[in-house]
Amino acid sequence: MNKVGYAVELNDVYVRINRSEVIRGITIKVPLNTIYVIMGPSGSGKTTILRLISRLIDLIPDVEVTGSISVLGMDALRSDPYVLRRYVGMVFQTPNPFPHMSIYDNVAIAARINGVANNRDELDRIVRWALERAMLWDEVKGRLNDYPHTLSGGQRQRLCLARALAMKPKILLLDEPTASIDPVNARKIEEVIKSLRDEITVIMVTHSPHQAARVGDYIALIYSGTIVEEGRVKDIFLNPKSEFTVKFLRGEV
Amino acid sequence: MHRIRVIKDRLFTFYVVITSALALIPSLHLISVIILRGVEVLSEAGIKFLVDLPPTPLSTQVGGIAPSLLGTFMLTAIALPTTTLIAIFAAVMNNEFPNNPISRILDVTLRSFASIPTIVVSMTVYLLVVIPMGGYSAIASSIALAIIALPYAYTIISAALGQVPHTYREAAYALGMSRWMMIYKVIIPIARRMLAGGILITMARIMGETAALIFTAGRFRTGLTLSPNQPVDAIPLLIFDYALTPYPVMHKVAWGAALILLLIYLITFLSLKVLVKEVKL
Amino acid sequence: MIRIKSNQSFFTVSRHDRNLFLLLLPTAVVVVGLLLITFLLISSRASEAVKTYGLSLYVTSAWDPERERYGLFVPLAGTLVTSAIAALTALLLSLSLSIVVSEFLRGAVRNFLSTIIEFMSGLPTVIYALWGVQYAAPVIRDYVMLPLHKYLGFIPLFACEPLSGYSVLSAGLVIGISIVPYVTSLICESYMLVPTAYREACLGIGATRYETTKILLGLCRPAVIAAVVLGLARAMGETTIAAALVGNSMTISYCVFMPSYTVSALIAAQYGNAQLYMYAESVLYSAALAILILALVLSLTGLTLLSKWRSKVLA
Repeated sequence: MNKVGYAVELNDVYVRINRSEVIRGITIKVPLNTIYVIMGPSGSGKTTILRLISRLIDLIPDVEVTGSISVLGMDALRSDPYVLRRYVGMVFQTPNPFPHMSIYDNVAIAARINGVANNRDELDRIVRWALERAMLWDEVKGRLNDYPHTLSGGQRQRLCLARALAMKPKILLLDEPTASIDPVNARKIEEVIKSLRDEITVIMVTHSPHQAARVGDYIALIYSGTIVEEGRVKDIFLNPKSEFTVKFLRGEV
Repeated sequence: MHRIRVIKDRLFTFYVVITSALALIPSLHLISVIILRGVEVLSEAGIKFLVDLPPTPLSTQVGGIAPSLLGTFMLTAIALPTTTLIAIFAAVMNNEFPNNPISRILDVTLRSFASIPTIVVSMTVYLLVVIPMGGYSAIASSIALAIIALPYAYTIISAALGQVPHTYREAAYALGMSRWMMIYKVIIPIARRMLAGGILITMARIMGETAALIFTAGRFRTGLTLSPNQPVDAIPLLIFDYALTPYPVMHKVAWGAALILLLIYLITFLSLKVLVKEVKL
Repeated sequence: MIRIKSNQSFFTVSRHDRNLFLLLLPTAVVVVGLLLITFLLISSRASEAVKTYGLSLYVTSAWDPERERYGLFVPLAGTLVTSAIAALTALLLSLSLSIVVSEFLRGAVRNFLSTIIEFMSGLPTVIYALWGVQYAAPVIRDYVMLPLHKYLGFIPLFACEPLSGYSVLSAGLVIGISIVPYVTSLICESYMLVPTAYREACLGIGATRYETTKILLGLCRPAVIAAVVLGLARAMGETTIAAALVGNSMTISYCVFMPSYTVSALIAAQYGNAQLYMYAESVLYSAALAILILALVLSLTGLTLLSKWRSKVLA
């Protein structure tokens, strides 16, 4: 485990997918237990960065990565991806709870396979804990055996959050988690994310500067595979250094 | 000018409808004939058709097809799980490691299997199994049937596994699941309907196959047996043999058996349709 | 600096993946091994006959096990003729059926007809053999062969007097009927792949249904050819219908009303007794090898044609 205090470190990382450069020389240092927001217009490479951290980039054929990536002190590119992923939870842009498992099982399986809970009592407890943290417990406590298709989109996304939390991950990756969610649910999800500060390192991708301001501690603004600006939320918003940042914050990009 | 085009269009429609009817009518006639002749035979023989032994060529009683019926079920019970298991492993390999050269060779091989004439499979299994075992057997027949059904099972199981949305794979990996766990706990359960459909199609194929049994089954029709290393019989083989004899009573048995086979196939097909909206062969 | 390509060989990937791959490997070994064994076995059994009789095995005709005289020309030619008739029949019938299903029908009626076709494509072929012997053969003789002989007897194809209903024509026709559902589904599938843009273009220029179909079908030509080739491969391997209807006689002529042999019918009829003679078995294996290679070549050709056309259309 890293003593300097960075949960994730990317050093001069280049990523090429199908021969075209998607990430060009990015260096990011994510401090432990903070909420780090990666922001930028669509197609700038934000999701690719998340995929690097969780080694989901393996699923894309024809990818080349250069540079060094360190996750919780482990060399992300050389480690066994299955081991790495145990520490990293992820919530995707479109909610994807397993359709063939009940609400309870969706959360429970995350706890079970990561050894967080081993018997029925422990599982019950952690499912309840995760659903409460995701602010979903009250809405589903009477119907834990129902299937996810009976939930609304916003509820499904919170279920995915609960599922990720039940893993007790050290790092939580969120890929535009409220992009396809209604505003009420989106606010709830933002509340949940904020409550995780100091417990888990959260890395969130968004294209909304407002959301970044509401939720984040640190921001990195990405455009076309490179970092335009990076720093604490206050600094970026009050003292943007780059012309592009100003434009982006005003919504002109 | 315009009138000529309309006339051509009308002629075309006429031609196409007539030829389509020609395409369908023989098969529809076939099915009706089986039902008519088969019902005739079954009403003559009654329920005993399912439990009696076949008649001798000159007898007046129709008897029954019990040995063949039992044989068909026994052979299916052995061949279906075998071929399904191999097909699942092969399909998993093809879906999970698609870029690996071994996977590609496996894929091409299995697709080639579909083009092997079934009688050739029969001959091969005869050499590989019947001769070393010293005689015809249910095992030899099941092996031949499993080989023939394998490409069908593989194609459809591969398709079933492949159409599980990619996002569930990612979710599974993100939770820390190993590949095997993902396949076992996520992919297969999500694909279960189409998988069940595939198994049903394979079963229908196995139950209807004749040529594979010609040199492997032994045509044991004079008694009932469940022994795997003894000669056995099956309904399609019985129909084939009896259709080619000159004796009317054998023909009757063949029609009755054909109706039974048709009914079994119909039930399988309807179950398939209940499970899956559309299954591509 | 680390450079990692994600699609490297599995040796550098997680040991979990490697273990899974190794677990699945025996399946591949068994399957590929089985294909190789089939080939080797048939080839080695056939080699004896080929060595003894040479190429004359394929160009003469005889089946005289007592005197160990063999010639496979009749069954080989018979297979080709029967399959050709079957493929032609299937083409004519399936094309129309596909057009009706794809162009003329919509909604529930189309689904119903599709289901019927799907149902028929899985029918055991032995049922066709039974029906062929008892119903189709006499009908073909009386209503197809006799009239053709009477009115068109000057054409060599129809010159001989049809005696029984067992001939290459009957076998070919019934096999053709049995593969209609298969060929139809192949053509329909391909027809559906034609981008709707073309259909809209046809509607836009005011084409009649006939003209639209002609255009769209023209776009499908490679796929239709592939379907015929695959149907041909299927027909070649067909055993029960051929054995029941082809007449089982070592004769062949230009007249399609004559009984003849196909390789699978020959094998089905003669293999049982072949053990009693010296070379009979081996001769049958050489026949099997011939259709095995032919069927494989045709299948691979058909499948390649189809996939090439598909990738072109979907681009």
